[in-house]
Amino acid sequence: MEKKAGQTASFMIRFNQIFYEEKGESKVQWRGRVSHVQGGKDQSFSDFSDAVKFIQEQLAELTLEATKHKSQEQQESLFTKSLSLWKTVTTEGPKVIMETIKDPRKQVAHLQDQISEFGEDLLEKVPIDDWRNVSRTDFKTIKDSIAELLTEVKKLNTKVDAINKTTKTSRTSKPKTTTATKKK
Amino acid sequence: MSNLQNNLLELKKFQENAIIRIQTLGQFNLWRDNDKVDSKQWGRDKTVQLLQYLISNRHRHALHKESIMEHLWEEGDDRDFKVALHGVNKVLEPNRPSRTDPSYIIRQGVTYQLDLDKIWIDVEALEKYIIIGNEAFGNDMKTSKEAYKSALALYQGVYLPNRIFEDWSSEEREKIQILVLGAYVILAEILLHENPLESIRLAQCAIAIDKTWEDAYRLQMQAYLIKGNRPQAIKAYQKCADVLDQEYGIDPLPSTKKVLQEIESM
Repeated sequence: MEKKAGQTASFMIRFNQIFYEEKGESKVQWRGRVSHVQGGKDQSFSDFSDAVKFIQEQLAELTLEATKHKSQEQQESLFTKSLSLWKTVTTEGPKVIMETIKDPRKQVAHLQDQISEFGEDLLEKVPIDDWRNVSRTDFKTIKDSIAELLTEVKKLNTKVDAINKTTKTSRTSKPKTTTATKKK
Repeated sequence: MSNLQNNLLELKKFQENAIIRIQTLGQFNLWRDNDKVDSKQWGRDKTVQLLQYLISNRHRHALHKESIMEHLWEEGDDRDFKVALHGVNKVLEPNRPSRTDPSYIIRQGVTYQLDLDKIWIDVEALEKYIIIGNEAFGNDMKTSKEAYKSALALYQGVYLPNRIFEDWSSEEREKIQILVLGAYVILAEILLHENPLESIRLAQCAIAIDKTWEDAYRLQMQAYLIKGNRPQAIKAYQKCADVLDQEYGIDPLPSTKKVLQEIESM
């Protein structure tokens, strides 16, 4: 039986340490290269976090590839368990948002395709068709409205604070009324 | 004659006289009594893989059968292993009488290893040449130079190129690549004044393997400087600076910038 390479990811990381003198000071520099053995991709790095990011991305691709033929439930369960995948989502997420702002129609269509892959039930819950027709102007209007809303909320907060202050002051300045009851 | 020179001669003799010779760099080939073994004689690919696995792990003495199977088969059983091993032995010794021990694959219980005293393998020879080159460096430059040249003559390309996606071959590939990069740069340095054009060529070979290998660019600059080719020397620096910026977002080292200053002051 042949070995199933689909579930294995090997990475070769080369570190090249360089010592040098600069302005009379001894310095050290690390240059590296990380390569994904089974995929053949590689990347240079001078900051190790770039190598980690590269590895995470390759692992995320591996999970996606390995689960593409699974049922919806199985895939969702595996996705949840795949920490590396979600780490990538957290890094890629902001990029998707930026792309959506740049080209909303294209991204909405893309999102719709992705959601439809998970089944019709989910598609019903997400009214993406309503979003599809949103234009850039609409996005601008929404953005402006949110900005206006924020200003109004700010003003409202100031007013509420002022009212609170007044109430507190009036409460504290209220003369103490004492009722003296004569003991009989 | 020094010990190192003797070792060099011995290595060359072995290369010429070994009954089994294996090429792993650039492509995989096996010669038995100077006859190249063709694909028909190999039969299954697993037979080739098993021999390549044994070559990749030749320094890990006595490889356990289970360990070999784990790397080459997902759920292979003893039969798969026996078939592949029989195939390898058949290629190495087609006329071996039955019930006699194989000559080239040493078996001890359930462990296996190649007999490196009988089989000539290019990567093994390359490593040994480089060891001689390193040991002779500084004391016997003639032997050192010859050893590095012999090593680099064996480098016909990447180690087992058809197995680059197999993790069991990666370690050896990386090790050889680093050894070869070092050998190119050292030989280019040795030949810098004697033959600057050859230094430029050798440095270029190193850059072809790893375009970020800064030592190689610096040597090219120095060799062009010796040749009096100022524009090419500056071009080499520029190429180096561009690649380092693109790949790492860094500047060349002060030693490389110093060579540029020397060139600019000419």
